[in-house]
Amino acid sequence: MTPKEHPIGAQVEKFPGMPGAAVKLLALVDEPCVSVPQIESILRQDPGLTANLLRLANSAYFGIPSKVGSVRQAVILLGLKRLVQMVIATCTSAIMDRTVPGYDLPAGELWRHSLAVSVATEGLVRELKLDAAEEIFTAALLHDVGKIVLGQFVQDDYAQIALALDQGLAFETAESIVLGTNHAEIGAQVLSKWSLPEGIVHAVRWHHEPEKAERPDPMLDVVHVANMLCLMIGIGVGREGLNYRPSPVVTKRLGITTSHLEKVASQTLQWANELSQALAA
Amino acid sequence: MTVSARIGESMTHTVLVGDLKTGCNGDMLVTHALGSCLGLMVFDPVVKVGGLLHAMLPLSSINPQKAQVNPAMFVDTGVPLLFHLLYEQGAFKGRLVVKAAGCGNPMGKNEVFKIGERNYTVLKKLLWKNNILLESEDVGGTNSRTIHFDVSSGEVTLSSGGNKRLL
Repeated sequence: MTPKEHPIGAQVEKFPGMPGAAVKLLALVDEPCVSVPQIESILRQDPGLTANLLRLANSAYFGIPSKVGSVRQAVILLGLKRLVQMVIATCTSAIMDRTVPGYDLPAGELWRHSLAVSVATEGLVRELKLDAAEEIFTAALLHDVGKIVLGQFVQDDYAQIALALDQGLAFETAESIVLGTNHAEIGAQVLSKWSLPEGIVHAVRWHHEPEKAERPDPMLDVVHVANMLCLMIGIGVGREGLNYRPSPVVTKRLGITTSHLEKVASQTLQWANELSQALAA
Repeated sequence: MTVSARIGESMTHTVLVGDLKTGCNGDMLVTHALGSCLGLMVFDPVVKVGGLLHAMLPLSSINPQKAQVNPAMFVDTGVPLLFHLLYEQGAFKGRLVVKAAGCGNPMGKNEVFKIGERNYTVLKKLLWKNNILLESEDVGGTNSRTIHFDVSSGEVTLSSGGNKRLL
């Protein structure tokens, strides 16, 4: 059976594509000189997107003191990379806002988790004074997109997954044994299909098993830690509970301590609420 | 922040992460998704007042500014606040029934991530210093827990992994 013929592979193929404006903007990120009119002309095709983008740029989370009233101002004040992150957040909120079966996440909870992990990764980068790629925000935001594809399959085979969990296996391992894949791998496949940068796809693919990744990567390590932290503080924790294993190798690699983790945890809710209010307004 | 809804004669109050809520006869206090967080339920069966705390982190010293604004986020500031609020509503220390839930941890032995264990340790120290015993508890492990606390009867129902039981 080819991947497309497999029922899970078929769902990946059917999964909604990234909206055109986001794809075009992403293509510009790595170009050496991009002009503001180029960006404006892409966004002009989608006035709703521009409006949402400006609302997000004005959210308390980004802390810009003056009001951002135009795409031009947003690019100047935030930079192109930040702008693209916001476009992706704006475009994916509707997909990620749904109820997710299998993991038993009510409507809105996966999105809340995604936002929380994004702000927690940025908090950890600051706290640990790391030199991580700017795209870490997007990697964190989309790390669980595979749950949307895999949810129904998890639901259908939950009895078998539960048996694997009873043997002391981590949830993503139980998924792999029962379904032949896990939500991290499926998420990476969706993001490859969206043509997102390879670094983001890599971080999403290994966010539960960073030790298996072919190369160490601070972006992957921080997403791994931030995801665990947000589940622990109850944001997006579903039926699988805390049945995941935080990597001791990553803890050592990042030099992370209890204080770092708790400091970031104490601020995550507020940051996530600020972002979420801007996107929901 | 709390969310409240009137269902029939009783009022259901949802206690979010880093929050606490007290109620009286006829109220139901609910909290969801207790992972590493502490859920603490305190009840006076004579006056019929009770309170539920959903504290995220053990010690307020990690972020004193946050603790000023939101003492319920931390066990060391949230627990005393819950007791004081109940005393203000006529509760008497000698009658209080205290139950704890949550304080879970992820799999493995990674000490950095044992926030649940630290939450429980700080709670036990506070209770011990104040001569208060836990009536019952369901703590640790990897399950996420939901609590329904009926302030009319003092009954605490714990839902976890598809199972329900009285705590």
